[in-house]
Amino acid sequence: MSQDLESQLRTALRPIAPSAALEKKLIASVTEKPAFAPQTGRFLRRGARSRAGWLSIGAAACLLIAVGMQHRLRERDERANGLEARRQVVEALRMTSQKLDLAYEIVKSQSTALDDGNPGA
Amino acid sequence: MTAQVAAYAIRFARGEFTLNEEVPRFTEHELAQARMGNPQALTALVRAHQRSVYSLALRMLGLKDLAEDLAQDVFMQLNRNLQSIESSAHLAFWLRKVTAFKAIDQLRRRRRLPTTPLDEEMHLCSDANVGDPLLHRHLERLLEELSPPARAVLLLRYQEDLDPTEIARTLEMPINTVKSHLKRSLQLMRQKTPGALVARPEDQST
Repeated sequence: MSQDLESQLRTALRPIAPSAALEKKLIASVTEKPAFAPQTGRFLRRGARSRAGWLSIGAAACLLIAVGMQHRLRERDERANGLEARRQVVEALRMTSQKLDLAYEIVKSQSTALDDGNPGA
Repeated sequence: MTAQVAAYAIRFARGEFTLNEEVPRFTEHELAQARMGNPQALTALVRAHQRSVYSLALRMLGLKDLAEDLAQDVFMQLNRNLQSIESSAHLAFWLRKVTAFKAIDQLRRRRRLPTTPLDEEMHLCSDANVGDPLLHRHLERLLEELSPPARAVLLLRYQEDLDPTEIARTLEMPINTVKSHLKRSLQLMRQKTPGALVARPEDQST
């Protein structure tokens, strides 16, 4: 059956002769002098179009990379700022704690002195 | 009848046509003449290759007018590139390649062509009253259902009688893709063709 189908395809797809009018047109299209100038123009236009296409793709890629880099830099700065702020808060807490300790020591020593000067109280 | 056979034998011996089809052979000498702009050689070139180009275009596009425009476009492009053609084999290869690529491009550009059924177009211009016309019309309709590359592969295989390696070279696709296109297309055609239509080789010979 496969062979039959293939042979039927060969028969069905026999080349078809074009009409006499088309033959004349085809002969005219190969016998007339080729127009080089339009072809060159078309080639250049196609080249220019292709170059413009590549340029726009390149520009878009550069823009994308720049935006990505900027975003990354901003993120890094924000992270550094955050770390600095945390360090400052910790430092402030440490200093506050020191001051409170000092105040506590002073209050405590004063109250002890008062107790010692007035034993009947 | 004997005289007719003898006449064909003489013409074949002279190299006027090949075994596959009654098309005048285009020689290397004629190609050299055509490159120099000899009008007779250019006419011989068109006569040798017009059937192949036109049939490929018609069966790819399915419309006579479009096929005629495409064939003309191909020969005009050949006119501009004739100096780069190295041999008559290269010429045949170049024409098939350019025709197939142009047709595939056109089909891709407008997915749905306002098609007249292919078989009607064929019926208008076919000179081959060989075999079963009903089956042939059915096969042509099935051909229309294939994707443009698959259609090109099938046409190069069964119309142009190229082997898969030559088809792969012509259509610039891997040989395995060509083989799979062929396998799938034949499978589809076998599925959609009633057995009674195909399995009658003895009927065709009578």
